[in-house]
Amino acid sequence: MAMLTTLVCFARVVCLCRAHYVTRLLLSWCMNCRPDVQIQITMTNMFLYLDKRDTMSQRSERRGIHVDQSELLCKKGCGYYGNAAWQGLCSKCWREEYQRARQRQIQEDWALAEKLQREEEAAYVSSHSSSQTQPPQSHSQQSLATFSKFEEKKTNEKTRKVTTVKKFFSPSSRTAPKKVPPEKESEKQEKEEKLQGRRESHGENLLRDLKGIFTQPWEMASPTEESHEGKAPSPSITRQSSIETDRVSRDFVEFLKTLQKPGREVHKQSRGFIESMGNKKDLSAEELSECVQDFYQGMSDRLLNHFKGSSEKVDRVMDQVEKYIMTRLYKSVFCPETSDDEKKDLATQRRIRALHWVTIQMLCVPVDEEIPEVSDSVVKAITDIIEMDSKRVPRDKLACITSCSKHIFNTIRVTKNEPASADDFLPTLIYIVLKANPPRLQSNIQYITRFCNPSRLMTGEDGYYFTNLCCAVAFIEKLDAQSLNLSPEEFERYMSGQASPRRQDDPAAWPQSGSRVNPALSQIHHNLKLLSNLEKRQQQVTEGAQNLQTELAEWQDSVAREVQEILERYPLEIKPRASAIDAENVENDRLPPPLQPQVFAG
Amino acid sequence: MAAAESLGMAAAGGKTYSFKVVLLGEGCVGKTSLVLRYCENKFNDKHITTLQASFLTKKLNITGKRVNLAIWDTAGQERFHALGPIYYRDSNGAILVYDVTDEDSFQKVKNWVKELRKMLGNEICLCIVGNKIDLEKERHVSVEEAEGYAESVGAKHYHTSAKLNKGIEELFLDLCKRMMETAQAEERSRGNGASHTSTARRGVQIVDDEPQTAMPAGGCCTSG
Repeated sequence: MAMLTTLVCFARVVCLCRAHYVTRLLLSWCMNCRPDVQIQITMTNMFLYLDKRDTMSQRSERRGIHVDQSELLCKKGCGYYGNAAWQGLCSKCWREEYQRARQRQIQEDWALAEKLQREEEAAYVSSHSSSQTQPPQSHSQQSLATFSKFEEKKTNEKTRKVTTVKKFFSPSSRTAPKKVPPEKESEKQEKEEKLQGRRESHGENLLRDLKGIFTQPWEMASPTEESHEGKAPSPSITRQSSIETDRVSRDFVEFLKTLQKPGREVHKQSRGFIESMGNKKDLSAEELSECVQDFYQGMSDRLLNHFKGSSEKVDRVMDQVEKYIMTRLYKSVFCPETSDDEKKDLATQRRIRALHWVTIQMLCVPVDEEIPEVSDSVVKAITDIIEMDSKRVPRDKLACITSCSKHIFNTIRVTKNEPASADDFLPTLIYIVLKANPPRLQSNIQYITRFCNPSRLMTGEDGYYFTNLCCAVAFIEKLDAQSLNLSPEEFERYMSGQASPRRQDDPAAWPQSGSRVNPALSQIHHNLKLLSNLEKRQQQVTEGAQNLQTELAEWQDSVAREVQEILERYPLEIKPRASAIDAENVENDRLPPPLQPQVFAG
Repeated sequence: MAAAESLGMAAAGGKTYSFKVVLLGEGCVGKTSLVLRYCENKFNDKHITTLQASFLTKKLNITGKRVNLAIWDTAGQERFHALGPIYYRDSNGAILVYDVTDEDSFQKVKNWVKELRKMLGNEICLCIVGNKIDLEKERHVSVEEAEGYAESVGAKHYHTSAKLNKGIEELFLDLCKRMMETAQAEERSRGNGASHTSTARRGVQIVDDEPQTAMPAGGCCTSG
């Protein structure tokens, strides 16, 4: 590398001598033998330089091109030549410098993560210990410590409040109120509510919401903000998200460590890319998508060709890169204000709500929800498709769709007892989407289309399910009387809410069709029936018990009465004993006296 | 377009081709049976363990080259006809299935062919498949008509029976070979263009960075 650097420097010197063709020859030779980006960039710059030289006048050119010998040397003064691409250092010094910076970065990341963890724990402990009225003696030390932390937290919050207010009112700040549609406001409020801890008071929530509304979304997720977070008290508005981004970046760094040199470069490029995206917030969604896709393409090309990675390995790296980048960019590129995604979201949501009356029969869905396993899977599928909105990485969103599809296949398989074909799958998916009405469906689809790694989206299994979801949405948008096998009049009446397909059935069929429409309702009916049965049986039992009790009492009485009667009828007479035991021994006194012990002397 | 590029890259790098093939055809013509027979070698089997037959993959080795085939089933009902383009965009091949006993299903195939040629041009390899030849007695689509039509639109025609497992292996093998030829021809036509485009792309990126740094000293490393 050092040799190449000197070569470049040499090329510059030659360039000074106006030997154009020699320079170009040299440069092209360099490029052929070392297709290294860094060097290429320098070279490209030089080409530009040379082109400029060609067009510019001699004088200005001389002024522009003149480079002092000392400027070419390494800034550290080690005697080697430096390189502009390495901040004027030579390769060796640059590597040292870069390593140190990277180590520092990693340590900071760790420190930040640990700090967040500690804070979280402290908050947890303090919320517990403060609820105790009399902390036991042994815990007093600890609770004191946590209490001081709690206090600290409070003051932090206070200062934050002040800065928030300041930010809110200061005219110079970039947080000038923007027009925010009311739906978005409520949506954001919801988001904020999810993010914030349970301990904060309502007033603070409100302030934070305001801040959330008036801050540019970019500011909340930009990597620069994160670096501020290390110094400032961590604003809890981004706490949860920053914990997530931190976790993702830590995972990313850990993963790249296993790759050594390519890993370092991947990390560097990814960081650089995120920073460069920070300057492009004014671009349209399509242009942003182009940037990200270009980056994916460039990265995978490079991994494949330069580092000679196997395609599986490259795929794995690209997954991680996607996760890292999109977690960071999510807030700024998901449903961007430059696009009309949000309008489409609302339109779709309204449309699905208006179609609430569509039944399984109309769509010819081969699913029998009377079977408990099937209705279970239906619920799971609905949950999965709704959950998609909560994920940040396109691939995770795809995974939700895939999981939803698997549940759908299960319902079909259980109902029809054969593998599901697309003829069965698509109507069922449409039915699930209609029932779930997933939040921000269009935004999610657009986001995945724009920012997912294309190789995954176009060919893999996930891509197939995603395509089906797109089809389902397209179908719902264009759905008309014909596609449900209804007459246009019927369709109109259902859409306007004048009639409901269920009420046309005879009244006897009503509870049945009702239960088919709502499994939970049928469950409730079932439970109610069970309960009333139980109640009846309990009544029977208590009646029986009471009967038994009275019977027992009667029996006791009757027994007592009987005993009494018998006693009365046969009174107990005890005759006096006829004589004493010895009475019959008449001649007692005739017996000789009993023998007496006698003492003999002798 | 990105997919085509990435496919090209994969082919150049690891000598592995990835092809996407869509199955088109009216409901009940036996699309699902066809693909299940091919990938699982099963027909109307009660013991089929696969959860689904709508997306199946098959790995092949053709003349020393690895091929990953992803077969996308599509919903054949008339009301989903308009969704076709979403399914078949970026696909390398299409298998259009009709039922030899059903004249209507053959008409459907003709519609599909027209649509595909209009949307994707000649880049897509078309296979027209007359399924259920085990029901030869009830045939309503004549062999001459079908084969003549296939030739007139630049498609290959096959006769298959998923029930008897006839003609299916040949169908997919032929299709793979044709798709490989198309891919290779495309690669050739791009020729050294492939490397050209990638350097051009890199060049574009550099120019992108240029205005920010504005000095010859600039480069992507300064930010690192």
